[in-house]
Amino acid sequence: MVYFPPLMNRERIRNFSIIAHIDHGKSTLADRLLQATGTISEREMTEQVLDSMDLEREKGVTIKASAVRMQYTHNDGQVYELNLIDTPGHVDFGYEVSRAMYACEGALLVVDASQGIEAQTLANLYMALEADLEIIPVINKIDLPAARPDEVAAEISDLLGTPPEEILRISAKSGENIAAVLQAVVERIPPPQGDPDAPLRALIFDSHYDAYKGVVAYVRVFDGAIAPNDMLQLMATQARLQPVEIGIFAPEMRPTDRLITGEVGYIATGLKSVGECRVGDTITLASRPAPQPLPGYRHPKPMVFAGVYPVDGEDYEDLRDALAKLQLNDASLVYEPETSQALNFGFRCGFLGLFHMEIIQERLEREYGLDIITTAPSVEYEVLLRNGEVVRIDSPAQLPDPAEIEEIREPWMKIQIFTPTEYYGVVMELVTGRRGVFIGQEYPTPNRVQLDFEMPLSELIVDFFDALKSRTRGYASLDYQFAEYRPDDLVRLDILVNKEPVDALATIVHRDDAYRKGQALVSKLKELIPRQLFAVPIQASVGSRVISRANIKALRKDVLAKCYGGDVTRKRKLLEKQKKGKKRMKAIGNVEIPQEAFLAVLRLRDE
Amino acid sequence: MDTSYSLYLHIPFCRHRCAYCDFNTYAGLEALIPAYAQALCREMAFLRQAAGERPPIHTLFLGGGTPSLLPITALETILQAAHTHFSWHAPLEITLEANPGTLDRDYLRAAYAVGVNRLSLGMQSAQPEELRFLERQHDFGDVIQAVEWARRAGFENLSLDLIYGLPEQSLARWEQSLSRALDLQPEHISLYALTLEHGTPLSHWVDRGLVPLPDADRAAEMYELACERLDKAGFEQYEISNWARPGHACRHNLQYWRNLPYLGLGAGAHGFAAGYRTVAVRASTAYIERLQNAGAPSVFPRTPATAEAIPVDRATEMSETLIMGLRLTQEGVSLQRFEQRFGQRLEEHYSAPIRRLRRAGLLEWHAEALRLTPRGRLLGNRVFMEFV
Ligand SMILES: Nc1nc2c(ncn2[C@@H]2O[C@H](COP(=O)(O)OP(=O)(O)OP(=O)(O)O)[C@@H](O)[C@H]2O)c(=O)[nH]1
Ligand code: SF4
Ligand SMILES: [Mg+2]
Repeated sequence: MVYFPPLMNRERIRNFSIIAHIDHGKSTLADRLLQATGTISEREMTEQVLDSMDLEREKGVTIKASAVRMQYTHNDGQVYELNLIDTPGHVDFGYEVSRAMYACEGALLVVDASQGIEAQTLANLYMALEADLEIIPVINKIDLPAARPDEVAAEISDLLGTPPEEILRISAKSGENIAAVLQAVVERIPPPQGDPDAPLRALIFDSHYDAYKGVVAYVRVFDGAIAPNDMLQLMATQARLQPVEIGIFAPEMRPTDRLITGEVGYIATGLKSVGECRVGDTITLASRPAPQPLPGYRHPKPMVFAGVYPVDGEDYEDLRDALAKLQLNDASLVYEPETSQALNFGFRCGFLGLFHMEIIQERLEREYGLDIITTAPSVEYEVLLRNGEVVRIDSPAQLPDPAEIEEIREPWMKIQIFTPTEYYGVVMELVTGRRGVFIGQEYPTPNRVQLDFEMPLSELIVDFFDALKSRTRGYASLDYQFAEYRPDDLVRLDILVNKEPVDALATIVHRDDAYRKGQALVSKLKELIPRQLFAVPIQASVGSRVISRANIKALRKDVLAKCYGGDVTRKRKLLEKQKKGKKRMKAIGNVEIPQEAFLAVLRLRDE
Repeated sequence: MDTSYSLYLHIPFCRHRCAYCDFNTYAGLEALIPAYAQALCREMAFLRQAAGERPPIHTLFLGGGTPSLLPITALETILQAAHTHFSWHAPLEITLEANPGTLDRDYLRAAYAVGVNRLSLGMQSAQPEELRFLERQHDFGDVIQAVEWARRAGFENLSLDLIYGLPEQSLARWEQSLSRALDLQPEHISLYALTLEHGTPLSHWVDRGLVPLPDADRAAEMYELACERLDKAGFEQYEISNWARPGHACRHNLQYWRNLPYLGLGAGAHGFAAGYRTVAVRASTAYIERLQNAGAPSVFPRTPATAEAIPVDRATEMSETLIMGLRLTQEGVSLQRFEQRFGQRLEEHYSAPIRRLRRAGLLEWHAEALRLTPRGRLLGNRVFMEFV
């Protein structure tokens, strides 16, 4: 079935993404555009309709970019084909935004009228400028009582040079001024370039896995065209494929008989592994390959690593299958088998950030019904050995014997914190308290300051974002990029439970912080590990020196409720429930340790 | 019928609901009592009809709720009906649960006269502020009076219930309550650790931070203190929460703990007979209606009030025999009786959990029976959990 004119005039195609800081209303704006263009009927409409994953809907957050094609009749009487890509706003998924941009000629930069410009507004704007996109700033949520559109317009104008009165002011919620957005898209974003007669070059900017259709590549055609029967070739992997189907997102997958130069759509490849069909690769025709691939993307590197273990060892295979399936939709997830003395067999997983980690963890639990234990996240260290060799480790347990170590280096990040000026002091204090180094400041708008720092990533992943948010009443926002590896005086902080070191609880910390962190960790664990039948000592040590200890008293009494005839069934059920709760804990030696304990490091507040 | 049953009759009325109570009982519905008593008599008749003969019983327990809210005439009618529909095996133990605030001299005299021979008094505490906190509607003076009248009326088997482990309760305050209770020279004492039951006012207070959580370690100390005091006073502990002077263990409750059959009648009452656990409709109004409208006979052990009858399979029965039997701190679960009942050896069937729990010092073998160690008595749930 063909729903769109098969040979759309390229002059009437517009490709654009919607970018913004988290929660500024991208997905809601997408809803209104889908509605205004009649792409989605009133009946099918739900809030943030493009957020189709359960987890996205529940959290109200876009995790994965999605593309959709719309048909729009402009006031010049012509029908235009608009390809929209809604992007996630969370900093962990910045790379998704940058990929989406390479498939577009323009971007709607949405700014919340009550929040104004925030860190990812800037980060995404810079990416868009780098990708040479036409930027249409849009002030959203003007219906909010706290909206201050004039000030926000002035901020944007300072940044982009657009005269304030030309900046669109809309409410994606009420639909106010949505028509103006569509008009601006047609009038201001240039149509795609490219050579329809040149050999096919289509950029894979995203993918997902479909049980029937294999890897579905999201593509933007730069040159040439694709027909369903074409034999295709991936330029990097040289893999050949006969598409199962080609089509567009409307927003569900809808087969078409052609994708032409400038268009956005999908190719269902039938391939069973993402390795063969990588995001960033260029697809060409096997019979008439293009001489040069399109410039690809730099692949996102995992920043945060953690062990993921099944609570019940028998679930190991299931966990492996689940990770493999998740990876099919999310190439940024990496994992390899790992063993722990405490937790037995599991996987070392690499994530883009803590939010990404949390999402994978939740998906494993909910979509795959697995009971898992996740260890505290770690960064990847470079260890220079005395023999001159450099090893990389992403788990504290892998740290070589201190006697062999010349130097330990850790990743440092450039961070930008964007905050109202009144929080200048608290932000400074927070960052420098975490080994951060002040680099400079800018005042992009009068009441706001952007503070630039450098800071070890290991400090950033432990609760930093929450601390920043709470100290600035939610007003500060944060962006960061990798800077370099730097040596420092780092040591491994071991935790001993009942005199046994538990490798999954070890962390690498700065020597100056070892005492404070050891103490905090020990008291947190004391809180989190339930009392056992015997007293359990908990100790923190560096090398062989114990630096902190606490004792979990033996359990003396559990419920001594009365129990007569009537209660038998109820009592039984209660016991069954308690037994289940016990099973969810991990027995290490004789001690039963609940999942939360392995993440205790994350829950240490800097008191 | 060769099995002898215990008979439980539930009286779901109270003047006021105590702050910690989640029993099936209703405050302010006393007007229903006459109709309820009638319904109870009808249910007994139905049960007898279903059994085809008068089921033999050796204990009868009027529990609640507050059975002492039954007017004496109602109490008499009920006991008469019980006599008509069941065959009584002497010596019959007939217990009445009573709230000390509801009693008077004449009532106790009359109750004794119609056959009640064991009285279980909800004393709970001797401390006025604790009784207020628990929203009990009586004071310790009422208890002293009630005991006195009961003795005069002829009761020779008196039990007192006490609660310990209240928020911020000190050991000294507890010991005082205990001493006051012993001063009254009861034949039997039950001590219950206060537990937070979901949906009770007390658990709301705790959730909202108005009341601190009871301290489990302190409760354990109170328990141990009580064990010592009661032992010295000549009481034998025979169950986790129950003590008696020699020969005064509650026979009715022993039936439960030995996992032997009992018939439960009245709203929300539970029974265990002929391989079924039965539960009656909970609401007293629904209960009354069912018996008013009942016509067709039922199949034993069901009655028209039965809401559920769940067959108990062998594995469940075994595990329940342990969960209940291990509560008996002296006799425990007898190897011989277990094997007679199930044709399987206890120590073989449950060898793994028994080994684990003995190693942990929570279970012991004693006189051909498996029982809790003194430490295990405080950690009963840990033990029972291994057998579900
Ligand atoms: N009052 C008001 N609320 C809006 C408007 N637009 C969006 N919202 C609300 O803002 C919240 C975030 O909207 P989303 O559309 O999910 O934001 P997003 O930018 O897609 O968020 P991420 O994908 O998580 O980055 C939701 O609760 C929306 O209902 C608006 O114009 N006015
Ligand atoms: S008297 Fe007994 S049954 Fe009635 S409310 Fe109080 S505790 Fe509950
Ligand atoms: Mg969104």
